[in-house]
Amino acid sequence: MLARIAHELYWLGRNLARAEFTARAAEAVFHAEIQGAIESSPSVSFGSGGLLAMLGDVDGHAPDDHTLAQLTLDPQHPGSMVASIERAREGARTVRDVISADMWEAINTTTLRMRGSSGGGWNAQTGTHIASQYVKERTALIWGVANRSMLRDEAKCFLDAGGLIEVSDMVLRMLRVALPPGDSPAADGHALILLQAVGGFHAYLRAVTSPPNAHPVARFLLFERGYPDSVAACVDSLHEAFTAADAGPRNSKPVLRVSRLAADLDFQRRALPDGAELTDICEQVQQELARIDQDVADRYFAGAASAGEWR
Amino acid sequence: MEVIDGYRPNAPFLDELFEPGGEPRTAALPLVHELERLGADGLMEAGRRRDAIFMQRGITFETGGGSEARAERPFPLDLIPRVISGEEWRTIKRGLAQRIRALNHFVDDVYHAREIVHERLVPWRLVASCPHFARAVHGIRPPGGVYTHVAGCDLVRHSDGTWKVIEDNVRIPSGISYVLENRAAMARLVPELFAAYRVRRVDHYPQLLLGALRAVAPSAESEATVVVWTPGPANPAYFEHAFLARQMGVELVEASDLVVRDDVLYMRTTRGLERAHAVYRRLDDDFVDPLEFRSDSLLGVPGLVRAYRAGSVAIANAFGTGVADDKAIYCFVPEMIRFYLGEEPILENVRTYLLSDPEMLEHVLERLEHLVVKPTGESGGKGVMIGPHAEEAELDRMRAAILADPERWIAQDVVRLSTVPTVAADGTLAPRHVDLRPFAVFGERIDIVPGGLTRVALEEGSLIVNSSRGGGSKDTWVLEDGEDSDRAVAAGFPVADTQPPALPDLRYGAWVGQQQQQQQQQHNGPRTRRGGG
Repeated sequence: MLARIAHELYWLGRNLARAEFTARAAEAVFHAEIQGAIESSPSVSFGSGGLLAMLGDVDGHAPDDHTLAQLTLDPQHPGSMVASIERAREGARTVRDVISADMWEAINTTTLRMRGSSGGGWNAQTGTHIASQYVKERTALIWGVANRSMLRDEAKCFLDAGGLIEVSDMVLRMLRVALPPGDSPAADGHALILLQAVGGFHAYLRAVTSPPNAHPVARFLLFERGYPDSVAACVDSLHEAFTAADAGPRNSKPVLRVSRLAADLDFQRRALPDGAELTDICEQVQQELARIDQDVADRYFAGAASAGEWR
Repeated sequence: MEVIDGYRPNAPFLDELFEPGGEPRTAALPLVHELERLGADGLMEAGRRRDAIFMQRGITFETGGGSEARAERPFPLDLIPRVISGEEWRTIKRGLAQRIRALNHFVDDVYHAREIVHERLVPWRLVASCPHFARAVHGIRPPGGVYTHVAGCDLVRHSDGTWKVIEDNVRIPSGISYVLENRAAMARLVPELFAAYRVRRVDHYPQLLLGALRAVAPSAESEATVVVWTPGPANPAYFEHAFLARQMGVELVEASDLVVRDDVLYMRTTRGLERAHAVYRRLDDDFVDPLEFRSDSLLGVPGLVRAYRAGSVAIANAFGTGVADDKAIYCFVPEMIRFYLGEEPILENVRTYLLSDPEMLEHVLERLEHLVVKPTGESGGKGVMIGPHAEEAELDRMRAAILADPERWIAQDVVRLSTVPTVAADGTLAPRHVDLRPFAVFGERIDIVPGGLTRVALEEGSLIVNSSRGGGSKDTWVLEDGEDSDRAVAAGFPVADTQPPALPDLRYGAWVGQQQQQQQQQHNGPRTRRGGG
C-alpha cells in the first residue's frame, strides 16, 4: 500500500488512542481533584499538573481550574482531546477509501458533535466529564466498527499499530510522571487513580490480589500480558501487527526491535524483585518505543517522520 | 436566588446548614452560594440526569412487595450534601470505635464466660430470649477474636447538637455501596458544589474490607481467598453484594457454589474445588446452615457451622452477633463500655425503656403518645410506631400488643432529628429530617469511612428514614482540616514539590514528503509541531 496511506492510518490509530487516553485520564483526575487533593497524596502524584506534564506541556505553567477544561476541550491546545479528535478526522478524511464507510461516519460524527458542543454547553465545569464520557464511548465504538468491518490486511495492521504504540507511550508517560522516585513508595492504595486513568481497575482487581498501591499497579500496567492496555501486551500485539504487515519480517528493523523489547519486558517481569524501582525501566522502554517509531517511519513511511522531533 | 429565598429551618429542630433565623451557617456559605447559582432549574435538571444515570447503571432498589406491585426505582439521592466538620467527625469516630469494641467484647463474653451476666449487669433472661442468640456457636472464638467485622451504628443529631446512637447494626448492615455511588454521582452531577471544600474520600472502603477479611482469614500457606456470599439476585440488597464483590475483586458466591468437605469450606470452580478462607456473608444466621439453624433453609450450606467451629474458615460477621444489636440489649451498651473497656461512653444512647420491667411498662403505657415503640428483633424500620404521629386506634392496638408480650418491645424518647435542606419536587429547598449510618470495618484495627450513609425522610415532618419506607439519601461530606488524615503522612516527602521528569514532546505525525524530509535533515531543522490543533 502507499506509504502515505500507511502513515495516515498509523497516525489515525495514534490520535484515536490519544484522545481516548486523554479522556480517561482527565476524568480520573477530575474526580480525584474534586475530593481531597490528590496532588498532595504521598504515594503517587497525578493531578491536572501531572496530566499537563504528561501531555508534554513544555512551558510548564502551573495548573489551575481551567487546566482540565483546556486539556479536554480547547482546540487550540495541541495536546487536548478535541485536537486529537480533529487530527483523527483529518487523517480519516484522507484515507476514506481505505476505511469502511461506517468507520468514517463514526469518526466524523464524533468530531462534529465535539465541535458543535465545545463552544457551548460543554465548556462549563461539567463539560470535562460529559465530553470525556462521550469520547470514551465514541472511541470504543470506532474501534469496534474497525474490528468488525475492516479486512485484516496491511491497512488494519498499521491502524492497530498506531493505537498500540500510542497506548503504551501514554501509559509510560503517566507512570513516569506519577511514580515517585525511590524504592518503596508508600502503600496507601492511592495508585487507584492510575488504574482509573486507563480504565483498568476492574482488570487489576481480578488479576492482582494486593490493594492498588503504587508498586503493584505500576507492575501491572507494565508487565501484565493479560491486560490489553498494559505495555507488555501492547508490545506483543505490536509485534504481531508489524510481522503481519511487513514484507520481510525476518530482517526488518522495527520487527526485530519490537520482538527484542517484548522479550526484555518479559525478562524484567521475572527478574525484578517486588518493590524494585520502576521509573528507570519506564524511561528505557519509552526510549525504545521512540526508536521503534523512528524505525517504522524509516522502513514503511520512507522516512516521513522528521528525525529532529525526538530529544 | 429562588432556591434559598424562603427557606426557613423548622424550629425546634436543628438545621445543619442554616441558623435558626434562616442565615446560612459559616461553613455552609460557599455551598449555599453555589446552590443559588445553580438555581431551582439547575437542580431539577441535575435531578433528571441523576435518575437517568442511576437507572442506566442499575443503582436501584425495589419498592412495594406484598400486595403492591414491585417496582424498581432509581435510588433516591438528594443533591444537597450534608456537611460534617472534621472536628465533629473525630468525636463520632472515637465514639463509634469505642462502642464497636465493647459490642465485640460482649459477643465474645456471651458465648464464653458470661462475666457481664455474672456481674448482674445484663440479665441472662434477656440475652437468652433474644431471637438472634445462637446456641450453636457457644464456645467458638473466631480468628483474631473479631466477631463484628462490619458494623453500622445509626446516629442522630439532637436539637442541642449532640450526636446519639439510636441503633446498632452488627449483623449485616447495608448501604455502603450507596455511600460510594452517591459520591461518584455527586462528583458527576454537581461538581461545582465541591469547589470550595476539601471533602474526605470514601472510595477506599472495599480495600479496607478486603484487608480486614484477609487479616482474619485462617490461611497459612498462601494469600487468603475471600468470597462474598449473597442469597441471590432476588435479594433487595443484591446490587450491594455484587458491587462489593466487584470492587474487592473477589467471587460473588451463592449457596450452590459452596460445599463443605471434612470441615473445610470449598467453592466449586471450573478447576475443581477451591478452598475459601473468609466469607463475607450477606444473609441471616437463620439461613446459613440447615444442619444447625433453620433446617428448611435452601439458601444455606450444610456443615458450614462445623467448618467454622473447626476454625478452617472465617465468617464475617461471625454467627451469633445478632445478640449484640438486639434493641433490648442496646440499653446496656453504655454499661458494656464501662465494664469491658473501663471508659465513659463518648456517644450517648437515646433514653430507652425496657418493657419487661413492670414499673417502666406502666410508665410507658401512660405516655405512649409521646414515645417511639420498636419491636426488639426487627430491623429496617419494620413495626416501628411513632407516638406523636400515631392515631388513637393505632395507639390502642400497640398498647394491646405490648401487654400481650412486653419483652418483644422497647420504647424510646422521641428524638428531634436534625434537618438538612432537601430538594423538593419543584426544585425548591425544604427542611427534612436525617440520620447517619457510618460504616466501620474491624480487622486488625477499627477503620471508619469518613461520613457514611445519610438517610433522609423525604416526606415533610416524617421521622422515618428507611429507604424501604420512602426515605432517601444524601452524600455525606466530612471536611478535611489537616488533622487526622486517613492518608499515611509518614513515608517520605511532599510530592507536590517534586518536579515531574522532562518527557519527550508529543508528536503529531504530519506527513512530510521525502524531499522535504531530506532538506530538513540537511538543515538539521527546528523541532516542528505540524498538523496540531
